[in-house]
Amino acid sequence: QRFRFCGDLDCPDWVLAEISTLAKISSVKLKLICAQVLRDLLGEAIEYDKVLKLTSDAKLESGDVKATIAVLGFILSSAAKHNVDSESLSSELQQLGLPKAEHASGLCRSYEEKQSSLQDRLRACSLRLSQLGSVRWRVDYTLSSSELQEVNEPVVHLTFNVRDRDEKMTAVPVTLSANKFRVLLAGEAPGGVAAGTSV
Amino acid sequence: MLLVLSAEHRAHLGCLPRAGGAAIGELGRLALEQLRRGAAPRALETAARKLNIGVDTIQHGVEGLVYLLTESSKLMASIPFCKISEVDFQDSIHVLGFSDELNKSLLQLYLDNRKEIRSILGELAPRLPSYHSLEWRLDVQLASRSLRQQIKPAVTMKLHLNQNEDQTAQVLQTDPATLLHLIQQLEQALGEMKMNHCRRIVRNMK
Repeated sequence: QRFRFCGDLDCPDWVLAEISTLAKISSVKLKLICAQVLRDLLGEAIEYDKVLKLTSDAKLESGDVKATIAVLGFILSSAAKHNVDSESLSSELQQLGLPKAEHASGLCRSYEEKQSSLQDRLRACSLRLSQLGSVRWRVDYTLSSSELQEVNEPVVHLTFNVRDRDEKMTAVPVTLSANKFRVLLAGEAPGGVAAGTSV
Repeated sequence: MLLVLSAEHRAHLGCLPRAGGAAIGELGRLALEQLRRGAAPRALETAARKLNIGVDTIQHGVEGLVYLLTESSKLMASIPFCKISEVDFQDSIHVLGFSDELNKSLLQLYLDNRKEIRSILGELAPRLPSYHSLEWRLDVQLASRSLRQQIKPAVTMKLHLNQNEDQTAQVLQTDPATLLHLIQQLEQALGEMKMNHCRRIVRNMK
């Protein structure tokens, strides 16, 4: 059977198995645990002791507590990933066996509140190889050199600060003559010379 | 399978009978700690002072015990309900000429810790980089400086690998057709497991 929140695929076996664990927790506590899991998915730290306290009534073992957090994390992030609205999510969770009245509707209400922030966060976490941080520039005027006594040419220095995924900044320095810089800006050298020839 | 002990090894272990019963327990404990965590010179010094034996003798004794335990665990697999490995161990240390009581305590030390030593030895094998996670992204190139109005899909992947606690990442890029071909090849590789040849080998290994 295919589920939209699983990306139109079968629901993973482990999720099916843990739905019954979710049903053991009271719906009020489930909503609070959802709030904690949403905090973790949005990048703030999860408060694990609070979760432990909330699950203590249901007498869950430590393995079950971790499984609960994992299955809630999967359901919420997968639903956000596939842009499932909270009505469909509620009906699909009921098909999986989560009791409607309180559990499914409570879960879906928490999901609906945070759906757009979750999607923004997931968008920001998507694979990105590198990002331009900033550009610095300087224009110099060369008066003379060891080769030629009167040069009188402007020279452009650019530094691209590139940030990669690990937040490490690399500086890429580039030095261009005035004509080359005009090619860079316009895509074509003055006088119709094709881009790519050395000027 | 008998263990062959070199003359130097026998000389190192020769300090054991002189050390006495309680010392054997202490030396055994030091040997196991050395296996788990590496050499600990201060612990050896404290033991030497407590037992009134020279530090060098203690060190040789502990190292001899470590070697005896690792070689026995390495070569004599633990087959449940099978007494062969115990007999082999007893025969191997018999050549050292120790007292029966000493032989029995050495055998007990070996049997008690065999499994743990085997698991430590198992982790020493060299490892290739292994899969940690895979991030992917589907892009479509619409235009470039050289050509406008294109449609060129590309899948970019970042493969995260783990090698002995070192994390490395490889960036790969391919078009969807090559990716489908890659998936097909990998599924064929998995399908090999269901062939008769593989099935026969797996059955015999169990």
